[in-house]
Amino acid sequence: MPKRGCLGCSFPVLIGVIVIALALGIVGLLSGELGKKLIGDVGMPSWLSVSAPHVQLPAEGIVHIGGFTITNTLLASWLSIIVLVVFAWAVTRRTKLIPSRIQSLIEFALEWMLNLCRDVAGDKNGRKFFPIVTTIFLFVLMNAWLNLIPGFGSILIGVDGERVQLLRGANTDINTPLALAMISFIFVGYLGVSAHGLWGYSKQFIRFGRFGKGFGLLFRGKVRDGFVGTFYGAIDIFVGALEGLSQIVRVLSFTFRLFGNMTGGEILILMMMFLVPWILAIPFYGLELLVGLVQAIIFGGLTLIFAANAVAPHEDEEA
Amino acid sequence: MTPETMKLLAAGLAMGLGAIGPGIGVGLVGLGALQAIGRNPEARGAILTNMILAIAFAEAVAIYALVVAVVLIFVA
Repeated sequence: MPKRGCLGCSFPVLIGVIVIALALGIVGLLSGELGKKLIGDVGMPSWLSVSAPHVQLPAEGIVHIGGFTITNTLLASWLSIIVLVVFAWAVTRRTKLIPSRIQSLIEFALEWMLNLCRDVAGDKNGRKFFPIVTTIFLFVLMNAWLNLIPGFGSILIGVDGERVQLLRGANTDINTPLALAMISFIFVGYLGVSAHGLWGYSKQFIRFGRFGKGFGLLFRGKVRDGFVGTFYGAIDIFVGALEGLSQIVRVLSFTFRLFGNMTGGEILILMMMFLVPWILAIPFYGLELLVGLVQAIIFGGLTLIFAANAVAPHEDEEA
Repeated sequence: MTPETMKLLAAGLAMGLGAIGPGIGVGLVGLGALQAIGRNPEARGAILTNMILAIAFAEAVAIYALVVAVVLIFVA
């Protein structure tokens, strides 16, 4: 009589799973690089060992049309766009009032995102920012998770005599995070200018007001007030310039955060698969799933927060 | 010391020293979040969301160090 105890399966099944995991672990350890260094070459068949990962940061071009190169990361980003569009079309073809399982899953995700937008930006602005924030979130998420599907990067194609990956995760090429960061920057700038006007928005960064007033007081003979005004005015100018600089640095920060996380994760998984082929990469796969989700939320969420800050009325404005 | 050795040493130092600050930072964020949850268990959802956000900010600095190290090893 099978005992229903350990993790819901019967005892023989659990023993079977443990034995298989141990067998894979030992075979992986012996045929991987770690085993070779620790135990010595036992003579495992060569198809069990993985060659050392060769990391190349710029994306490899697949097809050249005129002067334009189609790289493998571009193909992967097109694939994720196609997957998103086809999925959206298939789910919304027959929407029912009492939703099916997939429809309720999508509704849950979108409603979570809409609630986040409303929480951060208020009701009206939240609904206005929702499309672009959710698009950025879904695009980054699909890029990251498609990269983890087994076999995604294993299709090789011959280009100029050497074998090159056909598809490579779109976030590991620095151009995709840079493009998304530029979209985010232009989005926030456009919202700030349309809410406050060009001069109103630039007033955050060009704050000569207090300095000028202090200087004027100095000329008129009120020395102490003049000095205090000039001093605080100088601090204001410095803070304004720093604010402007931080807006521009935001683009770099977005880019490198996403690029570094994704590329670092891919290098990590490649290294782990090289060291102990079958077992060691599994926990890091889980980590990569989590990191992909968190980075997508971060990118969308930070865009949302900066947009909400840009349209918020200033303290000294009559709102 | 050959340039190759220097590059590897620089990569190791970049990642190692660059992970000290973010490590402490992420720990402090966790401390604040856990204390806040301890005081007010009902606000768990909001606190966790903001904690994840703050952790990603602190983590980003460590990722910049990782990018420098990777560029040193594979590109330079």
